[in-house]
Amino acid sequence: MIYLFQILNGVGLGMLYFLLAVGLSVIFGLLQFVNFAHGAFYLLGAYLTYDLVSRGFDFWLAMPIATLIVAGLAALVEVLLLRRIYNLPHSFHILVTVGLALVVQEVTIILWGPLGGSVPAPDGLQGVVILGNFVYPEYRLFTIAFTAVLAGLLWWLLEGTRLGAIVRAGSESHSNMALLGYDTLRINTAVFGFGAGLAGLAGALAAPIRGVEPFMGAEALAIAFVVVVIGGMGSYTGALVAGILVGVIQSLMTTLWPEGARLMIYVAMALVIALRPRGLLGRA
Amino acid sequence: MNVVDRPLIQFGLAVAVALALPFCLSSGILASEVLIFAIVVAACNLLLGYTGLLSFGQGIFFGLGTYFAGVGLTRYGLAVPVVLVGATVIGAVVAAAVGWLSIRRQGVYFVMLTLAFSQLFYFLAYTFSDLTGGDNGILDVPRPNIGGVLNDPWAYYIFVAVCFVVVFGLLLVVTQSTFGRTLLAIRENEPRAAAIGFPTKVFKTQAFAISGAVTAFGGALHAMLIGVAPLSNIEYHTSEQILIMTIIGGTSSLFGSVLGAGFFLLMADALSTIWPRWLLLLGLALIVVALFMQRGLWGLVEKASAALTSRKAADKDAREGGHV
Repeated sequence: MIYLFQILNGVGLGMLYFLLAVGLSVIFGLLQFVNFAHGAFYLLGAYLTYDLVSRGFDFWLAMPIATLIVAGLAALVEVLLLRRIYNLPHSFHILVTVGLALVVQEVTIILWGPLGGSVPAPDGLQGVVILGNFVYPEYRLFTIAFTAVLAGLLWWLLEGTRLGAIVRAGSESHSNMALLGYDTLRINTAVFGFGAGLAGLAGALAAPIRGVEPFMGAEALAIAFVVVVIGGMGSYTGALVAGILVGVIQSLMTTLWPEGARLMIYVAMALVIALRPRGLLGRA
Repeated sequence: MNVVDRPLIQFGLAVAVALALPFCLSSGILASEVLIFAIVVAACNLLLGYTGLLSFGQGIFFGLGTYFAGVGLTRYGLAVPVVLVGATVIGAVVAAAVGWLSIRRQGVYFVMLTLAFSQLFYFLAYTFSDLTGGDNGILDVPRPNIGGVLNDPWAYYIFVAVCFVVVFGLLLVVTQSTFGRTLLAIRENEPRAAAIGFPTKVFKTQAFAISGAVTAFGGALHAMLIGVAPLSNIEYHTSEQILIMTIIGGTSSLFGSVLGAGFFLLMADALSTIWPRWLLLLGLALIVVALFMQRGLWGLVEKASAALTSRKAADKDAREGGHV
């Protein structure tokens, strides 16, 4: 029973990791831009949710508001800052986004203090589900179901709609898209806001499970990287499989070897890289 | 080549810095820290500036050197030279392994891999706390007894300064050698370097090993300096800071790294006493450097020197013109 419990936990955690990784992947795919501030958007999503809920907002209102604010801020950052540096080498992309992540982290500490806090599970989902002798928190079941629906929507959005076709075409060739009359600058802004919004949403969803603290962004960034590395960059299915795999490994290890739980994520990554440098589902 | 980029001038500047720091700073600890990080940042520059490899994993080797010194000195009572050599060797071996695995992917994937490896080693150190002391680190790491003055920061500074000058000189030799030239060729155009027949992966792995060896050496010096082998030395933030110092200093010449380390540590020292949230300013500074100062601090020196030499040349032209 404890294993079933941990596997479910792992799937829930893994779906959050998937949301983080898919945002990173979409941004990289279209903009050829590695976003080291991705963890900072996750951090912001979690803290905004925390802030709104502690001001008396309902979680169901706080979560979408936090997500939208993060997406809006990210779009603003793209317009004001990132668009000026697309043509520079990768090291400058990294420098700017690392700088941005530091700014967000320090502003978080200034606004909300260094200690962090906890977010109560939303109304209506505070109980547990009991099936025979199996007991599981309702909110965690909700996150699994919610992110699963979201994952389906995302897949449809990227693979089945005109919008997705534009994004995919843009990642093949920006200049051809511009020639066809698409406003690539606006598409860039929208996609960056969208990807960062997904990170913000992951943060908002994670807040009632894991609480908030100012340094959660750096770890989330590293995990998102691991998921992308294991799954293969640019692969939607890869991000999903790798996200769940990483989540389940981490959860199961919490039972078997608590101190080494997070270590094993990275060991798994090293193994995948040694055996399949392109990732599990990466394109050649 | 710009006059100031000549290797002899670079070496002279490094020696000058080592001699001048005691007169500029009141703290021997801070002065030693500047030189230790100058070594470590120069090693990062060998990868970033000379090979074009942006590694977020330098903290791995720094931390390994730190732990090797901590364990070797406190538990096994090894001699200081043995500790330094041992740390260097371990750094080289682990860096070769991490480098070999990471360079299998290029560009951004490579950067992500090095960052993930740095997390891997952080959690290794965190998990095996019997060996590393976990959160507490390894305490009471002794400083070498130099000239009978154990524990005096300035005596230790002399030791660090000698190490710094030697290592900086060696790194200069490496960058000027055929090996270093090949690294530059790989940075400029890897497919072409491979087509000429250079085994580029071997060269990149070797660059990684050298960089890791020097970084671990710096880590061992650092543990003896602060008397602790802390967990934070192997953290992601250490990797990040080494990289930031490298880019702020400028990657076009090795001495830029000394500028970067000095600037970063002295600013951190000054700002952190005024405002605990000074990292906010660092974040803004990074954005400004990326937007407006892409060659870093050393780029400013190069510009100034180029302006000076061209004015001299213009003066000379004018004078010679007058004689005719």
